[in-house]
Order: sequence, then C-alpha cells, then structure tokens
Amino acid sequence: MKIGLEIHVQLPTRSKMFCSCPTTDAPAPNTHVCPTCLGMPGSRPVLNRKVLEYGIMLAKMLGCRVNDTTWFSRKTYFYPDMSKSVQITQYDNPIGEGGVYYMDGKKPIRITRIHVEEDPGKTKRVGDLSSLVDYNRSGIPLAEIVTEPDLTSPAEAREFLKQLIEDIRHVIDLPGDGERSIRCDCNISVGKERCEVKNVTGLKNVERALTYEVIRQTKILKAGGKIDRETRRFDEERGVTISVRKKEFEADYGYIDEPDLGVYHIRELADSIKIKESPQKMALRMSQQYGIDQRMAKQLVSTSVDLAELFETVASRHGTQSAVKWVAGPVSSNWKSLETSGADVSDVMGIIDRFAAGEITDTECGIEIKCLMTGEDIESAKGAAGDLDKLVSDYLDQNPGIIDDYRKNDKAANKAIGFVMKNSGGSYSSAEVVEAVRRLIESRL
Amino acid sequence: MSYLQRLKDINAKYGMFHAMTDETDAGESRFLFSAKDNLTSLDMETCAGSRILQGYVPAFDAAAIERMKAAGGMLVGKTNMDEFGFGTFSANSAYEIPRNPFDRERSCGGSSGGSACAAAVLEGHVSLGVSTGGSICCPASFCGVYGIAPTYGRVSRYGLIDYGNSLDKIGVLSAKASDLRKYITIMAGRDERDPTSCVQPELKSERRRMKSVAVPKDGIQGLSGDVEAAFNDSIETLRSMGIDVEEVDMPSFRYAIPAYYVIATSEASTNLARYVGMRYGVQEGDLSLKFDDYFSSIRSASFGDEAKRRILLGTFTRMVGYRDRYYAKARQVRQLVIDDYKRILQDHDAVLTPTMPYVAPRFDEIERMSALDSYKTDYLTVPPNLAGNPHLSVPCGYDGNGMPIGMQFVGAHWDEDVLFTMAEEWEKAFDMRRPEVEA
Repeated sequence: MKIGLEIHVQLPTRSKMFCSCPTTDAPAPNTHVCPTCLGMPGSRPVLNRKVLEYGIMLAKMLGCRVNDTTWFSRKTYFYPDMSKSVQITQYDNPIGEGGVYYMDGKKPIRITRIHVEEDPGKTKRVGDLSSLVDYNRSGIPLAEIVTEPDLTSPAEAREFLKQLIEDIRHVIDLPGDGERSIRCDCNISVGKERCEVKNVTGLKNVERALTYEVIRQTKILKAGGKIDRETRRFDEERGVTISVRKKEFEADYGYIDEPDLGVYHIRELADSIKIKESPQKMALRMSQQYGIDQRMAKQLVSTSVDLAELFETVASRHGTQSAVKWVAGPVSSNWKSLETSGADVSDVMGIIDRFAAGEITDTECGIEIKCLMTGEDIESAKGAAGDLDKLVSDYLDQNPGIIDDYRKNDKAANKAIGFVMKNSGGSYSSAEVVEAVRRLIESRL
Repeated sequence: MSYLQRLKDINAKYGMFHAMTDETDAGESRFLFSAKDNLTSLDMETCAGSRILQGYVPAFDAAAIERMKAAGGMLVGKTNMDEFGFGTFSANSAYEIPRNPFDRERSCGGSSGGSACAAAVLEGHVSLGVSTGGSICCPASFCGVYGIAPTYGRVSRYGLIDYGNSLDKIGVLSAKASDLRKYITIMAGRDERDPTSCVQPELKSERRRMKSVAVPKDGIQGLSGDVEAAFNDSIETLRSMGIDVEEVDMPSFRYAIPAYYVIATSEASTNLARYVGMRYGVQEGDLSLKFDDYFSSIRSASFGDEAKRRILLGTFTRMVGYRDRYYAKARQVRQLVIDDYKRILQDHDAVLTPTMPYVAPRFDEIERMSALDSYKTDYLTVPPNLAGNPHLSVPCGYDGNGMPIGMQFVGAHWDEDVLFTMAEEWEKAFDMRRPEVEA
C-alpha cells in the first residue's frame, strides 16, 4: 500500500498574499475583499514578501533544497469561488524541492516539493438550487507540501500528519485553531493504480478517508476488478469517498508563468532565515542529551515547547534528575491550569533553587510548585498534601515490595495509585495522586 | 477646448467614443484627454470593446488616468477599440467602430482606433492608447498622428484590463509631437500596484538627437507602392537632417509574428477566464443552470468571434503536450528578438521601418480579410512590442487618396528621450495635414 499526501497549510500573514486585505476572521461574508482578491478587471497582484519567508522556513524545516530563483504560475480552471478563474500558484521552480521528514526521528518520508499559492473563496450551498460565494478567504496564502508515496497505512499517515503539523505550528507560529485550517489531498494505491481523495479536513478524517479507500480498493482487487485512476471526495457525515471524475476527464490546467509578477531571487533571503528547532527534533535531541525516555521527551514537547525549554533550564542548573522530578512531575501535570491561573512559569525556578539550597523540603517544594501553577492557597494545600503524602507513605511502608517492583517496571506504581484513589474518597485529582506516588516511590529508590 | 459642446455631434460622425462626459465646460481643467476603453475609469462605464463587460462601472481609476487627472486633466471620453485589443482595425467590437477622419469609409486602425481618431479630429486633444502588438502605432499611422508606446513597464498597468500582461503598454497619441514627452512624463514612474513598473530607471529628458537609424531588410518587404515611396522620401529627409540610415540584417524579425500570437493568446486566454457573468458586467444568464453551463452560455453569447478565436488558440498553445512546442518555444524566440534589437541598437539610435505595410483599408476590404491576413498585417509593429522596446510612429506621407502613411522608430529599452526628440524634430521638417472636420 502506498500513500502520498498533499498538505495545504494557511500561512499566518497579517494581510493576504497579493493584496492588503486582512486575513483575520471577518465580521461578515465578503467584507475582507478588494478589486484584487475579487479579480476585478484591471486589478493586479502585488506579492506579500512574508509569504516567501514562511515558504522558505517550511522548506528548511522539511530539509528541502531552496531554489535560487522562484516564480509564480497561473493555473486556470473555472469554479465560482476562484475569482479570476486563475489561481496564482507555483509550477516550475517552487520554493523548495527534494526534502525528507523523519517520522519519530527515524522513518524517512520524502518530500517532493513545497510551494506557495493563493486560497480560493468558499462556496456554500443554500438549498438544492443555489449557492452563495464568500471571497473573504480568496487570496489567503497557502503552503502546499507534497510528499512521495512513502506512507504505508492510514494510521501512519495520520501520525505523520500529527507530527508534521505540530512542527509546522511551532516553526512558523501558526495559531492552533480557528479559520486557519489544514487541508489534505490524499493519494492512495492498494494495487497499481492510485486514487486521489481531494480536500479532506482534519487528521481524523484523513485516516477515515484513507481507511475507507483501503477497504474499497482491496474489495475490488479481490473480486478481480480493476481500480480506476480517479479523483474522489470524502463525505464526512457518511464516512465514504465518492467519485468526482475519472482520469480522462482530469482538468488540463494549462499552466503558464504569471506575467504580472517577476522572478524572485531568494538565495540571500533563504540564507538569512534561521528557523526554530522543530518539536519532533527537540524531543529526539532531549532524549539523547539527557538520557530520558523518548516517551517522556515527547510528552514534554507536545505538552508545550515552553515546558520542554524549562526542563532544559532546570537540567542545566540542577541536573537532569531534578528536571525529571520537578518539571516532568508537578509542573507538567499542572500545565493546563496555567491558562486559568495566569501564573508566570519561570517563577518555578526560584522554588527549585530554594529546594536545591536545602531551604525547603521535598514535600514543600512539590506543594509550592503546584500552588504556583494552579493559584491554590499554599496553607490549605499543605494540609491536604500532608494528608495525601501520609496516605501514600503509610501504604508504601506496609507494601515495601512495590519499591522493588517499580525498579523493574514503573507500572508497579499503579497499585499504590489505585489504593490511594480508592481510599482518599475523591479528595485528590488523579494527577495529584500520580504525582505524589511517583515522587514518594522515587525518594525511596 | 471649445469642442466640449460639440462632442456628441462629432462623435455621431466619427464614433470615437464609447462613453463620454456630459460636461460642456472644462472648468478649471488644464487639458482635456480621452483614454482607451480598456483603462478603468471611476464612474465612467468601461467595457474594453466587449459585450461581456456591458454596464461595468469600475470602482477605481487606472493609474494612468489617475495621474493625468492629478496633473489637471479632464477625462472627456473612453475610446472605442477592438474587443480587449484583439484586432488591427477596431472593427472587432461589440460597440461602435470608429471612422477614419480622412475617409469615413475606412478604418482608423487598431486596436486603439478611437484614440487615434480623437487625437486627429479634436483640436488640442491628447488620447491614451494601449499597445500589445502595435495597437498604438498602427492607428497613429492610419489616422496621421503621432503615437508612442513606451518601454514595457514605463507606465503602470494598474487599472488596465489585460490582454497580454507581458506585452501590454500604455502610451500616448496626439497630433502634436511635443505631447508625447509631456504626457508620458506625467504617467511614467514606479507604482507599487504594478510590480513590473517598479524596475524602471528614471525617465530622462535630455533631448538627445538621433544620429543613425537601422532599417532591417525584412522590414521593407511586402509594402504597398505608396508606402514604399513615402518611406523612401522620408529616408532622404532624415539624411538631410543629418541622420545616417543604414540597412541591416535582423534574422529574428520574421519569427516575431508567430511567437507574438502564441504568447499573446496564451496570456489572453487566461485573462479572459475571469469573465463568467458573475460579479460584474453581463449577468443575465439562466441561474437555474449548473455553473459550467451558466458561464458557457454567457461567454458564448457575449464574446465576439475574434475573442473566441484567441481563447481557443491560447488554450491550445498551453495544453499539456503542446506547451513546450508552442508557449515555451515562443518565449525562446522572444529572447532572440530582444537580443537582435540589443545588438543593432549598440550601433544605432533606432530601428526604422514603415509603421504599416499599407494605408488604412476600407471597411469592405476588411470584411474580405481572413483572420490570418489581418494578423500578418502587424509584422512591422509586432517585433518591438514582443521585445518591450519603446516605439514611435510619426506621419511621413500621404497616398494618392490623401490617406496618411506613417513610419516607426524603435528605441532601446528605457530610451524614450531620443524618440521624443525625433518626433519634435520631425514635426518641424514634415508638412502634416489635418483632416477637415465638420460636425
């Protein structure tokens, strides 16, 4: 089975790709529009240079060769939401070509190319007989990333996308949600001929659409049938793919170079752009550098790159053990409450410094960190935690075998966790119990 | 400026304007001008000669019009033209066909025919034209006026309704030679709304005089007897003005026409894709149809034959399997033409040919011409357009019927100055006739 993806990512520029209309969510349909993105006669495109910068960043992140010169082409097709009936995209000499993305830091997925292009508007069906068109999205910049057919299952495609998107979001500071979605064209062949499922939105739907295709194509082949090369679309509600057109009816887009925009010499620009380390690479590096489990490194990074950076700071000041104990412990388990408490996580450093200097105890340090993160009152937390710690310690005293078991397999902690959860009458969250059990077991190792 | 009161009467006779002002008083304006109807004008209908744009009133002025207005100009009318610029005689139009001021049974040339007509007929008038393959020099020659298409990129194309974006140039037509320098200078300069205008060096006004011109051998083939005679006389006049005239070889000359039509139609077919009967222009199709059927019906009914022909040609030349053979090849030929001009203009100030191989034809003659006949007529004006070089047409003689004949000077890229000076000098040496105008 071979799967290749074409991934469309909206780039976080403030204005559109070829005009100065804003890219923010609009108050109403057709309000963020101008003669250029409406394709009025006499209007013409002016390139937003930021788009090239983002394109170069992604090309570098994907290990692509950035071309010395790049330019734009016209792709002609008739669709109501494509205001000029011409999409300005890249055909020859895209920004980047020939890259590799390492899934889990190991499995290479080859990247054919990355180019930038403009998004069309949106068509919305109203009843059976009519549609409305909203051009607010017309001209929003997109990057299209094309992979080689190196993915071998729908689940792997989903995992690849998950990691890739996490990296993209971090490297170009792409907001997590909202209008700026990520869309995917999925190419899949079980036998020789491939089908393309166009415009699938979201990770889950990519996996669903591909899984449906695997079953559909396998059935046809088993029955001795032949797969037709075609374009299909995914019906999200019914979870099925539907044929849109056969290969012989594929549009010929009649690409020509875009004469209104010149040739861009991007070598110097590309050399001057330094990109941030991607989360996947960071996790891989941290696991090697600090000798921590890959799962823990990934967990830290995917919770937040800020958390992973805090881990590194603590590790450099107080050693890896301390970072594992505190950052991967109470800081990590209470990370979500930062949003509501609005605390400054860098204050954690002061608490750990005081612990390292022997000014506060192990237990106090844990409580203070938790209170900082959640905004809870320290005194009442101390009381409650004292009770929790006592409950755990008593259990460990009575069941010393758990410490030995834990050395072999950290799942041994689950027994203690289960006991405490059951006997504390729901006074503590599972995160708190897990943290306390782990901390107290580790202190006895 | 007195013609404002008579504008409608004059237009009834010559048909130069599509839309025109109702003002009869020039007020504070410093000059009156008209603009080809493919330049968008705020609050004045703009159709580019096409039915499909009927009723379209743009929301913005083209940069060229904006600058003319800012300099004190009053826009009095939008001039008739071939649909989207597709033609040599201004006869491929959904609207009125302008009539030659010297013989109303004859063409004004095209595609800026209405502009040349206005420049010839109206006293003290300047008109903006647009040239893609010769659409300024051809009508200037047929109507006996001066016309210049500056270097590609000299005047911002913001607000120009595109024919071939890599070829289109906005220029000036006038009966007065000094208008060329004056108004090109007003319109020239960088405009961020058209990136291709942003690479231009400053427009100089050093009044540098021409010392030598080159006449390509292929450029004096296929001429009518009257044109040949007038051209030879003009060469003698040039020599008497102290200018060397030398025949040269220009091997790429004959390949310019096919290369031009491939590139121009390729670009045009993508530019015209946006006209689908939505958002502006004609929108009176049957909305119960599927989108494909809806826009096909609108396009079938609203594009003229020549527009359809060029869409078909231009779509073919960029199809998979043909793109390399036609579109890519044409662009290589274009480079050869550019290189040829560069080589010749190292030793000469301009390349000189007649502007058109014959005088303005009668409408009945035009009707009998095939599309190919009329394409071939552009063989003298297409090469400089393909190469993006500035080119000037000056009136240089009249045939037995009193029809004007023009000759064309092609300068080096960005060197309009030497062409302006040539026009100004020529005006002193040449006995120009004005048509008799009565309305």
